[in-house]
Amino acid sequence: MHTKLRTLALLLVLASGLPLHAAAQAKCTAVSPDCVIVGEWDLNVGLGVGVRTNPVAGRSDIPLYVVPQISYYGKRFFLDNLEPGFTLYEGNAHTVNLVAAPGYDRVFFTRGDPQNILVSAPWSAPGVGGFNGRDEEASAQELPHHRRRTTYLAGPEWLFSYGRFAGQLSALYEVTGRHHGYEVRGAISTPLIRTEHSLIANAGFTWKSAETASYYYGVKGFYRPNAALNPFIKVAYSRPLSERWMLNAFVHYEYLSDEIADSPIVSDPSVVTAFVGLNFKVF
Amino acid sequence: MATPLGAAADTMEPSIELNLRPRVCTLADNDATCNTTVRAQWRSKKNESLCLVIVDQPQIRHCWEEHNEGLYSVEVSFSQDLVVQLRDTELDRVLASQAIAVIRKALQFRRKRRQPWSIFF
Repeated sequence: MHTKLRTLALLLVLASGLPLHAAAQAKCTAVSPDCVIVGEWDLNVGLGVGVRTNPVAGRSDIPLYVVPQISYYGKRFFLDNLEPGFTLYEGNAHTVNLVAAPGYDRVFFTRGDPQNILVSAPWSAPGVGGFNGRDEEASAQELPHHRRRTTYLAGPEWLFSYGRFAGQLSALYEVTGRHHGYEVRGAISTPLIRTEHSLIANAGFTWKSAETASYYYGVKGFYRPNAALNPFIKVAYSRPLSERWMLNAFVHYEYLSDEIADSPIVSDPSVVTAFVGLNFKVF
Repeated sequence: MATPLGAAADTMEPSIELNLRPRVCTLADNDATCNTTVRAQWRSKKNESLCLVIVDQPQIRHCWEEHNEGLYSVEVSFSQDLVVQLRDTELDRVLASQAIAVIRKALQFRRKRRQPWSIFF
Protein backbone atom coordinates (compact mmCIF):
# COMPACT_ATOMS: atom_id res chain seq x y z
CA MET A 1 0.00 0.00 0.00
CA HIS A 2 2.71 2.46 1.02
CA THR A 3 4.77 1.41 -1.99
CA LYS A 4 1.79 2.16 -4.21
CA LEU A 5 1.29 5.57 -2.66
CA ARG A 6 4.95 6.35 -3.12
CA THR A 7 4.71 5.28 -6.76
CA LEU A 8 1.64 7.42 -7.24
CA ALA A 9 3.32 10.38 -5.60
CA LEU A 10 6.35 9.91 -7.86
CA LEU A 11 4.16 9.78 -10.96
CA LEU A 12 2.32 12.91 -9.90
CA VAL A 13 5.56 14.74 -9.21
CA LEU A 14 6.94 13.69 -12.59
CA ALA A 15 3.75 14.73 -14.33
CA SER A 16 3.58 18.06 -12.55
CA GLY A 17 7.26 18.78 -13.10
CA LEU A 18 7.26 18.34 -16.84
CA PRO A 19 4.94 21.19 -17.72
CA LEU A 20 7.07 23.71 -15.88
CA HIS A 21 9.03 23.84 -19.11
CA ALA A 22 6.09 23.07 -21.30
CA ALA A 23 6.53 24.04 -24.90
CA ALA A 24 3.63 25.57 -26.69
CA GLN A 25 2.13 23.32 -29.33
CA ALA A 26 1.25 24.66 -32.72
CA LYS A 27 -2.06 26.45 -32.60
CA CYS A 28 -4.95 24.51 -34.08
CA THR A 29 -5.64 25.91 -37.53
CA ALA A 30 -7.23 22.96 -39.30
CA VAL A 31 -8.99 19.70 -38.58
CA SER A 32 -6.54 17.00 -37.49
CA PRO A 33 -6.53 14.06 -35.09
CA ASP A 34 -5.70 16.58 -32.35
CA CYS A 35 -7.84 19.52 -33.46
CA VAL A 36 -11.57 19.96 -33.98
CA ILE A 37 -13.83 22.71 -35.26
CA VAL A 38 -15.48 24.68 -32.49
CA GLY A 39 -19.24 24.36 -32.52
CA GLU A 40 -19.60 21.32 -34.76
CA TRP A 41 -20.68 17.80 -33.93
CA ASP A 42 -18.41 14.96 -34.92
CA LEU A 43 -19.71 11.41 -35.31
CA ASN A 44 -17.50 8.49 -36.25
CA VAL A 45 -18.27 4.80 -36.28
CA GLY A 46 -15.57 2.19 -36.00
CA LEU A 47 -16.48 -1.18 -37.49
CA GLY A 48 -14.15 -4.07 -36.88
CA VAL A 49 -13.13 -6.85 -34.59
CA GLY A 50 -11.79 -6.54 -31.10
CA VAL A 51 -12.00 -7.76 -27.57
CA ARG A 52 -11.56 -6.58 -24.03
CA THR A 53 -10.52 -9.33 -21.65
CA ASN A 54 -12.51 -9.59 -18.45
CA PRO A 55 -10.48 -10.03 -15.28
CA VAL A 56 -13.53 -10.94 -13.20
CA ALA A 57 -13.79 -14.66 -12.51
CA GLY A 58 -16.54 -16.39 -14.46
CA ARG A 59 -17.19 -13.48 -16.78
CA SER A 60 -16.61 -13.71 -20.50
CA ASP A 61 -14.47 -11.33 -22.45
CA ILE A 62 -16.24 -8.35 -24.00
CA PRO A 63 -16.38 -8.35 -27.81
CA LEU A 64 -15.93 -5.11 -29.69
CA TYR A 65 -17.55 -4.80 -33.09
CA VAL A 66 -18.89 -1.29 -33.30
CA VAL A 67 -17.07 1.57 -31.65
CA PRO A 68 -18.97 4.83 -32.11
CA GLN A 69 -17.42 8.13 -31.18
CA ILE A 70 -19.38 11.31 -30.82
CA SER A 71 -18.01 14.62 -29.77
CA TYR A 72 -18.92 18.27 -29.65
CA TYR A 73 -16.53 21.03 -28.71
CA GLY A 74 -18.00 24.44 -28.08
CA LYS A 75 -15.96 27.39 -27.00
CA ARG A 76 -16.18 26.20 -23.39
CA PHE A 77 -18.57 23.26 -23.16
CA PHE A 78 -17.66 19.92 -24.69
CA LEU A 79 -18.97 16.39 -24.89
CA ASP A 80 -16.44 13.69 -25.64
CA ASN A 81 -18.25 10.37 -25.94
CA LEU A 82 -19.59 9.78 -22.43
CA GLU A 83 -17.61 12.61 -20.88
CA PRO A 84 -19.09 16.11 -20.70
CA GLY A 85 -16.91 18.95 -19.56
CA PHE A 86 -16.33 22.66 -19.29
CA THR A 87 -13.09 24.42 -20.18
CA LEU A 88 -11.91 26.89 -17.56
CA TYR A 89 -8.69 27.85 -19.32
CA GLU A 90 -7.19 27.02 -22.69
CA GLY A 91 -3.73 28.11 -23.79
CA ASN A 92 -1.27 26.73 -26.29
CA ALA A 93 0.45 24.51 -23.76
CA HIS A 94 -2.03 24.13 -20.93
CA THR A 95 -5.75 23.49 -20.68
CA VAL A 96 -7.80 23.18 -17.51
CA ASN A 97 -11.21 21.56 -17.68
CA LEU A 98 -13.90 20.43 -15.31
CA VAL A 99 -15.01 17.00 -16.48
CA ALA A 100 -17.41 14.23 -15.61
CA ALA A 101 -16.49 10.68 -16.56
CA PRO A 102 -18.09 7.29 -15.97
CA GLY A 103 -16.50 4.72 -13.71
CA TYR A 104 -14.98 2.29 -16.19
CA ASP A 105 -14.87 -0.81 -13.98
CA ARG A 106 -18.59 -1.46 -14.25
CA VAL A 107 -18.08 -2.77 -17.79
CA PHE A 108 -16.69 -5.96 -16.29
CA PHE A 109 -19.83 -6.66 -14.28
CA THR A 110 -22.86 -5.55 -16.24
CA ARG A 111 -23.53 -5.99 -19.89
CA GLY A 112 -26.06 -3.16 -19.74
CA ASP A 113 -23.42 -0.58 -18.93
CA PRO A 114 -23.51 2.21 -21.54
CA GLN A 115 -19.89 1.57 -22.38
CA ASN A 116 -20.74 -2.02 -23.30
CA ILE A 117 -23.97 -1.22 -25.12
CA LEU A 118 -22.02 1.13 -27.35
CA VAL A 119 -19.36 -1.32 -28.37
CA SER A 120 -20.80 -4.83 -28.19
CA ALA A 121 -22.84 -6.21 -31.02
CA PRO A 122 -26.46 -6.44 -29.90
CA TRP A 123 -26.79 -9.68 -31.83
CA SER A 124 -24.07 -11.40 -29.77
CA ALA A 125 -25.31 -14.85 -28.87
CA PRO A 126 -25.14 -16.00 -25.29
CA GLY A 127 -21.81 -17.64 -24.66
CA VAL A 128 -20.23 -16.06 -27.69
CA GLY A 129 -19.28 -12.89 -25.89
CA GLY A 130 -20.36 -10.53 -23.19
CA PHE A 131 -21.47 -12.18 -20.02
CA ASN A 132 -22.59 -15.64 -21.04
CA GLY A 133 -26.02 -14.21 -21.53
CA ARG A 134 -26.51 -13.14 -17.96
CA ASP A 135 -26.02 -10.01 -15.99
CA GLU A 136 -24.33 -9.71 -12.68
CA GLU A 137 -27.66 -9.36 -10.95
CA ALA A 138 -29.06 -12.52 -12.46
CA SER A 139 -26.05 -14.71 -11.90
CA ALA A 140 -25.70 -17.06 -9.02
CA GLN A 141 -22.47 -16.71 -7.13
CA GLU A 142 -21.13 -18.43 -4.10
CA LEU A 143 -19.59 -15.25 -2.74
CA PRO A 144 -21.86 -12.50 -1.49
CA HIS A 145 -22.10 -9.80 -4.09
CA HIS A 146 -23.58 -6.38 -4.47
CA ARG A 147 -24.90 -4.49 -7.41
CA ARG A 148 -22.44 -2.18 -9.16
CA ARG A 149 -24.46 0.71 -10.49
CA THR A 150 -23.50 3.29 -13.08
CA THR A 151 -21.32 5.89 -11.44
CA TYR A 152 -19.98 9.21 -12.59
CA LEU A 153 -16.91 10.92 -11.30
CA ALA A 154 -16.23 14.62 -11.66
CA GLY A 155 -13.33 16.93 -11.06
CA PRO A 156 -10.60 19.03 -12.59
CA GLU A 157 -8.54 17.88 -15.55
CA TRP A 158 -5.25 19.35 -16.65
CA LEU A 159 -3.94 18.85 -20.18
CA PHE A 160 -0.45 19.93 -21.10
CA SER A 161 2.08 19.59 -23.88
CA TYR A 162 5.82 19.29 -23.70
CA GLY A 163 7.55 19.11 -27.04
CA ARG A 164 6.39 15.90 -28.69
CA PHE A 165 4.63 14.78 -25.53
CA ALA A 166 1.06 15.47 -24.49
CA GLY A 167 -0.13 14.69 -21.01
CA GLN A 168 -3.21 14.80 -18.88
CA LEU A 169 -3.96 14.48 -15.23
CA SER A 170 -7.39 14.42 -13.63
CA ALA A 171 -8.54 14.11 -10.03
CA LEU A 172 -12.09 12.83 -9.87
CA TYR A 173 -14.62 12.32 -7.09
CA GLU A 174 -17.61 10.01 -7.38
CA VAL A 175 -20.63 12.28 -7.50
CA THR A 176 -23.48 9.81 -8.04
CA GLY A 177 -23.54 8.79 -4.39
CA ARG A 178 -22.63 5.13 -4.76
CA HIS A 179 -19.26 4.86 -3.08
CA HIS A 180 -17.90 8.42 -2.63
CA GLY A 181 -14.49 7.30 -3.80
CA TYR A 182 -11.77 9.06 -5.75
CA GLU A 183 -9.83 8.35 -8.89
CA VAL A 184 -6.70 10.00 -10.19
CA ARG A 185 -6.02 9.39 -13.88
CA GLY A 186 -2.79 10.38 -15.53
CA ALA A 187 -1.33 9.67 -18.95
CA ILE A 188 1.31 10.84 -21.34
CA SER A 189 1.40 10.23 -25.07
CA THR A 190 3.77 10.80 -27.94
CA PRO A 191 3.63 10.12 -31.67
CA LEU A 192 6.09 7.47 -32.81
CA ILE A 193 5.21 7.84 -36.48
CA ARG A 194 3.43 10.80 -38.00
CA THR A 195 3.33 10.45 -41.77
CA GLU A 196 0.27 9.18 -43.60
CA HIS A 197 0.63 6.47 -40.97
CA SER A 198 0.09 7.54 -37.40
CA LEU A 199 1.39 5.52 -34.48
CA ILE A 200 0.87 6.97 -31.01
CA ALA A 201 2.17 5.51 -27.77
CA ASN A 202 0.44 6.21 -24.46
CA ALA A 203 1.42 5.31 -20.92
CA GLY A 204 -0.41 6.17 -17.77
CA PHE A 205 -2.05 5.05 -14.60
CA THR A 206 -5.32 5.04 -12.73
CA TRP A 207 -5.27 5.37 -9.00
CA LYS A 208 -8.44 4.26 -7.24
CA SER A 209 -9.14 5.08 -3.63
CA ALA A 210 -10.08 2.27 -1.25
CA GLU A 211 -13.76 3.22 -1.60
CA THR A 212 -13.62 2.96 -5.38
CA ALA A 213 -11.66 -0.29 -5.39
CA SER A 214 -13.96 -1.81 -2.76
CA TYR A 215 -17.13 -0.87 -4.61
CA TYR A 216 -16.06 -2.92 -7.62
CA TYR A 217 -13.71 -5.57 -6.28
CA GLY A 218 -14.58 -5.90 -2.62
CA VAL A 219 -16.55 -8.83 -1.21
CA LYS A 220 -18.59 -8.03 1.85
CA GLY A 221 -17.21 -9.85 4.87
CA PHE A 222 -14.42 -11.46 2.85
CA TYR A 223 -12.25 -8.89 1.16
CA ARG A 224 -11.82 -5.15 1.27
CA PRO A 225 -9.07 -3.77 -0.97
CA ASN A 226 -7.08 -0.69 -0.16
CA ALA A 227 -6.29 2.00 -2.70
CA ALA A 228 -5.07 0.57 -6.00
CA LEU A 229 -2.73 1.86 -8.67
CA ASN A 230 -3.12 0.39 -12.17
CA PRO A 231 -0.51 1.33 -14.78
CA PHE A 232 -1.27 0.93 -18.48
CA ILE A 233 0.25 1.29 -21.92
CA LYS A 234 -1.59 1.79 -25.19
CA VAL A 235 -0.42 1.88 -28.78
CA ALA A 236 -2.79 3.21 -31.43
CA TYR A 237 -2.32 3.10 -35.19
CA SER A 238 -4.35 4.94 -37.80
CA ARG A 239 -4.12 5.61 -41.50
CA PRO A 240 -6.59 7.66 -43.54
CA LEU A 241 -7.90 5.77 -46.56
CA SER A 242 -10.16 8.48 -47.93
CA GLU A 243 -11.93 11.60 -46.77
CA ARG A 244 -14.32 9.56 -44.64
CA TRP A 245 -12.65 6.21 -44.08
CA MET A 246 -9.73 5.50 -41.81
CA LEU A 247 -7.95 2.33 -40.80
CA ASN A 248 -7.66 2.10 -37.03
CA ALA A 249 -6.08 -0.35 -34.62
CA PHE A 250 -5.05 -0.21 -31.01
CA VAL A 251 -3.82 -2.39 -28.18
CA HIS A 252 -4.28 -1.37 -24.57
CA TYR A 253 -2.71 -3.28 -21.71
CA GLU A 254 -3.60 -2.49 -18.11
CA TYR A 255 -1.91 -4.17 -15.19
CA LEU A 256 -4.14 -4.47 -12.14
CA SER A 257 -2.80 -3.56 -8.75
CA ASP A 258 -2.37 -6.40 -6.26
CA GLU A 259 -5.17 -4.83 -4.24
CA ILE A 260 -7.52 -5.62 -7.10
CA ALA A 261 -5.82 -8.75 -8.43
CA ASP A 262 -5.94 -10.35 -4.97
CA SER A 263 -9.72 -10.02 -4.81
CA PRO A 264 -11.43 -13.44 -4.76
CA ILE A 265 -13.67 -12.32 -7.62
CA VAL A 266 -10.70 -11.48 -9.87
CA SER A 267 -8.99 -14.24 -11.82
CA ASP A 268 -6.68 -12.28 -14.10
CA PRO A 269 -4.28 -9.53 -13.03
CA SER A 270 -4.45 -7.69 -16.33
CA VAL A 271 -6.89 -6.34 -18.91
CA VAL A 272 -6.07 -6.35 -22.59
CA THR A 273 -8.18 -4.41 -25.06
CA ALA A 274 -7.44 -4.76 -28.76
CA PHE A 275 -9.35 -3.57 -31.81
CA VAL A 276 -8.72 -3.38 -35.54
CA GLY A 277 -11.21 -1.98 -37.98
CA LEU A 278 -12.32 0.79 -40.26
CA ASN A 279 -13.52 4.11 -38.98
CA PHE A 280 -16.26 5.91 -40.92
CA LYS A 281 -16.79 9.62 -40.44
CA VAL A 282 -20.55 10.16 -40.55
CA PHE A 283 -20.30 13.94 -40.12
CA MET B 1 -31.56 47.88 -54.66
CA ALA B 2 -29.58 48.85 -57.71
CA THR B 3 -27.00 51.60 -57.58
CA PRO B 4 -27.76 54.01 -60.37
CA LEU B 5 -24.72 55.17 -62.22
CA GLY B 6 -23.98 57.34 -65.21
CA ALA B 7 -26.97 59.01 -66.73
CA ALA B 8 -29.30 57.16 -64.43
CA ALA B 9 -27.63 58.84 -61.49
CA ASP B 10 -28.78 62.23 -62.71
CA THR B 11 -32.20 61.61 -61.24
CA MET B 12 -32.89 60.90 -57.60
CA GLU B 13 -34.93 57.78 -58.35
CA PRO B 14 -33.10 54.88 -59.92
CA SER B 15 -34.43 54.31 -63.39
CA ILE B 16 -33.35 50.68 -63.46
CA GLU B 17 -33.69 48.33 -60.53
CA LEU B 18 -31.40 45.29 -60.43
CA ASN B 19 -31.81 42.45 -57.94
CA LEU B 20 -29.54 39.45 -57.50
CA ARG B 21 -30.00 36.09 -55.87
CA PRO B 22 -28.15 34.96 -53.83
CA ARG B 23 -27.05 38.09 -52.02
CA VAL B 24 -24.07 36.43 -50.37
CA CYS B 25 -22.08 33.24 -50.79
CA THR B 26 -20.57 31.66 -47.66
CA LEU B 27 -17.45 29.58 -48.15
CA ALA B 28 -16.73 26.79 -45.73
CA ASP B 29 -13.19 26.04 -44.61
CA ASN B 30 -12.41 23.65 -47.45
CA ASP B 31 -14.18 25.58 -50.20
CA ALA B 32 -12.09 27.68 -52.57
CA THR B 33 -14.86 28.98 -54.81
CA CYS B 34 -18.56 29.61 -54.85
CA ASN B 35 -20.26 27.56 -57.52
CA THR B 36 -23.80 28.72 -57.76
CA THR B 37 -26.58 29.80 -60.06
CA VAL B 38 -26.85 33.56 -60.10
CA ARG B 39 -30.34 34.87 -60.79
CA ALA B 40 -30.43 38.47 -61.98
CA GLN B 41 -33.71 40.35 -62.41
CA TRP B 42 -34.05 43.92 -63.58
CA ARG B 43 -36.95 46.29 -64.07
CA SER B 44 -37.22 49.76 -65.60
CA LYS B 45 -39.96 52.34 -65.95
CA LYS B 46 -39.30 52.62 -69.65
CA ASN B 47 -38.06 50.31 -72.35
CA GLU B 48 -34.31 49.87 -72.48
CA SER B 49 -31.76 48.21 -74.68
CA LEU B 50 -29.05 46.92 -72.41
CA CYS B 51 -26.73 44.05 -71.61
CA LEU B 52 -26.01 42.18 -68.39
CA VAL B 53 -22.32 41.53 -67.80
CA ILE B 54 -20.27 40.22 -64.91
CA VAL B 55 -16.97 41.82 -64.01
CA ASP B 56 -14.02 39.48 -64.64
CA GLN B 57 -16.33 36.99 -66.36
CA PRO B 58 -16.19 38.18 -70.00
CA GLN B 59 -17.76 35.00 -71.29
CA ILE B 60 -21.06 35.97 -69.66
CA ARG B 61 -23.16 38.51 -71.49
CA HIS B 62 -26.89 38.65 -72.06
CA CYS B 63 -28.65 41.49 -73.89
CA TRP B 64 -32.23 42.72 -74.27
CA GLU B 65 -33.66 45.04 -76.97
CA GLU B 66 -36.38 47.47 -75.93
CA HIS B 67 -37.52 45.71 -72.76
CA ASN B 68 -38.62 47.18 -69.46
CA GLU B 69 -37.73 44.06 -67.47
CA GLY B 70 -35.61 40.98 -67.75
CA LEU B 71 -34.57 37.82 -65.94
CA TYR B 72 -31.38 35.88 -66.49
CA SER B 73 -29.91 32.89 -64.64
CA VAL B 74 -26.39 31.64 -65.13
CA GLU B 75 -24.01 29.23 -63.44
CA VAL B 76 -21.03 31.13 -62.12
CA SER B 77 -17.89 30.13 -60.27
CA PHE B 78 -16.19 32.87 -58.26
CA SER B 79 -13.93 33.31 -55.27
CA GLN B 80 -14.22 37.08 -54.72
CA ASP B 81 -17.19 39.43 -54.61
CA LEU B 82 -19.10 39.04 -57.88
CA VAL B 83 -20.11 42.29 -59.53
CA VAL B 84 -23.06 42.14 -61.93
CA GLN B 85 -23.71 45.16 -64.13
CA LEU B 86 -26.31 46.36 -66.59
CA ARG B 87 -24.66 48.36 -69.36
CA ASP B 88 -25.81 49.98 -72.55
CA THR B 89 -25.49 47.88 -75.66
CA GLU B 90 -22.11 49.41 -76.50
CA LEU B 91 -21.01 48.44 -72.98
CA ASP B 92 -19.79 51.96 -72.37
CA ARG B 93 -22.11 53.11 -69.62
CA VAL B 94 -23.00 51.29 -66.43
CA LEU B 95 -26.74 51.61 -65.88
CA ALA B 96 -26.97 49.59 -62.69
CA SER B 97 -24.67 47.48 -60.58
CA GLN B 98 -25.01 44.98 -57.79
CA ALA B 99 -22.60 42.58 -56.08
CA ILE B 100 -22.78 39.17 -54.45
CA ALA B 101 -20.51 39.20 -51.41
CA VAL B 102 -18.22 36.26 -50.69
CA ILE B 103 -17.99 35.55 -46.99
CA ARG B 104 -15.40 33.15 -45.72
CA LYS B 105 -16.71 31.33 -42.71
CA ALA B 106 -14.46 32.14 -39.77
CA LEU B 107 -13.86 28.69 -38.36
CA GLN B 108 -12.43 28.33 -34.90
CA PHE B 109 -10.43 25.32 -33.89
CA ARG B 110 -9.45 23.94 -30.54
CA ARG B 111 -7.46 21.04 -29.21
CA LYS B 112 -9.23 17.76 -28.67
CA ARG B 113 -8.81 15.74 -25.50
CA ARG B 114 -7.22 12.34 -25.53
CA GLN B 115 -8.81 9.58 -23.50
CA PRO B 116 -6.25 6.79 -23.31
CA TRP B 117 -8.27 5.06 -20.57
CA SER B 118 -11.26 4.72 -22.75
CA ILE B 119 -12.03 2.00 -25.26
CA PHE B 120 -12.74 4.78 -27.71
CA PHE B 121 -9.73 5.52 -29.85
